[in-house]
Amino acid sequence: MCWFSFSLQKDADHAVVIAVTSRAVFGSGADDDEVYGEGLAFPLLQALQRVNEHLLMNNPAELLLFDIVLLTTDSQQQQQSPRIISSTRHYGLEVGRFCFSSEEDFVENLLKNNVQLFLSTDRNEASQATQRGVLSALLDHQTASCPSEQLKVLFFGDAVIQPDTGPTPPSRQAARSFSAQLGEMQRRFTMSDSPLSIGLVTWRGGRDSCADALHTLRSRGVRVDEAYCLAEAPWGPILSVFRPHFLLSDGFGGLEG
Amino acid sequence: MVTMSLDPVQLMSGQVSELKVASSSNGNSRGLWEEKEEFDREHLGLPAKPKPVTERRTRKVEGGVFFPKPENAVTIAVSSRVLFRTEREQKVFEQKGVEEYLRYQIEHENEPFAPGPAFPFVKALETVNARLRDLYPQSEELFDIVLVTYNHAHVGIRLINTINHHNLFIERFCMTGGSSPIGYLKAWQTNLYLSADADKVREALAEGIAAATMFMSEKITEVSEYQLRVAFDGDAVLFSDESERIFKAHGLDKFFEHERENEDTLLDHGPLKGFLEVLGKLQKKFYAKGQRLDCPIRTYLVTARSAASSGIRALKTLRAWGLEIDEALFLAGAPKGPMLEKIRPHIFFDDQMFHVEGAAEMGTIAAHVPYGIAQNHNPKQNASVGK
Repeated sequence: MCWFSFSLQKDADHAVVIAVTSRAVFGSGADDDEVYGEGLAFPLLQALQRVNEHLLMNNPAELLLFDIVLLTTDSQQQQQSPRIISSTRHYGLEVGRFCFSSEEDFVENLLKNNVQLFLSTDRNEASQATQRGVLSALLDHQTASCPSEQLKVLFFGDAVIQPDTGPTPPSRQAARSFSAQLGEMQRRFTMSDSPLSIGLVTWRGGRDSCADALHTLRSRGVRVDEAYCLAEAPWGPILSVFRPHFLLSDGFGGLEG
Repeated sequence: MVTMSLDPVQLMSGQVSELKVASSSNGNSRGLWEEKEEFDREHLGLPAKPKPVTERRTRKVEGGVFFPKPENAVTIAVSSRVLFRTEREQKVFEQKGVEEYLRYQIEHENEPFAPGPAFPFVKALETVNARLRDLYPQSEELFDIVLVTYNHAHVGIRLINTINHHNLFIERFCMTGGSSPIGYLKAWQTNLYLSADADKVREALAEGIAAATMFMSEKITEVSEYQLRVAFDGDAVLFSDESERIFKAHGLDKFFEHERENEDTLLDHGPLKGFLEVLGKLQKKFYAKGQRLDCPIRTYLVTARSAASSGIRALKTLRAWGLEIDEALFLAGAPKGPMLEKIRPHIFFDDQMFHVEGAAEMGTIAAHVPYGIAQNHNPKQNASVGK
């Protein structure tokens, strides 16, 4: 079941729909106050909003905007649905849709709402969504929570390079189209005033892997701002210095290894 | 300009390339690259084919370690502006701004950069690595050369193309798009950082990372292809600047007096002591296999101290630290240029720009360590005796 916030509706043909779980935005556990506390993904949501603001500043008629869906699968939080909505309003978060589902059928909800990226703190949820072809990324304390002026997206390059053979899994197609849209958004800005910062990290393989990944992303129209070729060096430092809001690989996004 | 006898294409693997690096200030040669075909596919919108490793890598490391762990290796971080010559691109950046600069870089993506001031040093490190791999095939105690640049990732493909063209063994890099790479330098336990930008070098020094600024000079004399030679100034490089402070504040006589009185007190360590230390560790690996005479690493101390007096304290300090230096040259204030010209180091570290410039005038590859009391003075005023 989804409630639409009519004033914040985006153009369905052009908007980039991102679903975030309310558990990630507001944190788990009930508070006694009227309003939830800020959760892990709070800065992420603000960053998405800032991108929209910049896009609209450049062009008030802009249609390529992030459309945010707040998904609640937590039954406890579902009982508090008015509080979710009022918390959103309290913080000035621009949520276009509020969706409430069970753990069993939330993926249906994602598909029905044409969600292009699903962000969750729950590995199971992210995995289920990926299996059904929805691009997903796992949020944890290392990502998401850093307040920053820009939306920071880190591509995990080892997964970006694609083999020639075999059918393309739906989640990979989803990844391609999402990254192409990010690239489209980037092109609305110059280098010095972009609210988006895109990084690439490759772990396995050496510089050739990184070159391949850079080429692949370029062919999708994505402009990579920062690139790190690790050749199996530790990548904790990359995360702690780049501070991505989320990590994308071609299909399942997450901090593996 | 690096002379043709150091042409890396001829040096390694015998890979035939139709592309010669022109002796102009920027390797501006369009050529028949085997890679060009791939970029044409790219531009036609065809999906990029990942090339099989054997096709792309003509130099092989038989049974060796490709990716040593940073904590085991001697990590040398170099910036793109010292590894290669990028003056033309710098000018575009300064005169026309970042967008135009990036557009220019992408347009010239298939043109490799020419070698820069740190290039011979990096080539020599690779020579040492080859010898180490021969003797210790499973060891990770190797030089690990990392490209660390503030450059934007757009330039990444051109840099990778250039690395491929010169057949350099660089598999790790950071392109930070403008933000500080200091976090990575620290996390990768960088043993030496070379950059063209003095501010970044100072930042690294402040974090305890050995670092030096390099400059492109028009005259570079030929250096050895078989033996890495590293020369160090003493005060404020290997040692602290405490003695220099005495000299600056109270003059030469006071300096000598102070050194005499403190002959048995060790000098404090300077920013490059750690680097000399790791060089020594690698040298010992060669000695252990009976290759002392044939060791591909040689270190030099080139100091204005004098052997009979103030030099003694320096030697005692090195000995107490357990550090060997192959040749110690006490110049007693004489100019360093001629001596360095004989040594032909791949890199010479000095804290005083006066000495760095003097060395460069005679074709020595010199790097400035912006540390200590000498930095507060105009280099031209240090024209007299030195220490």
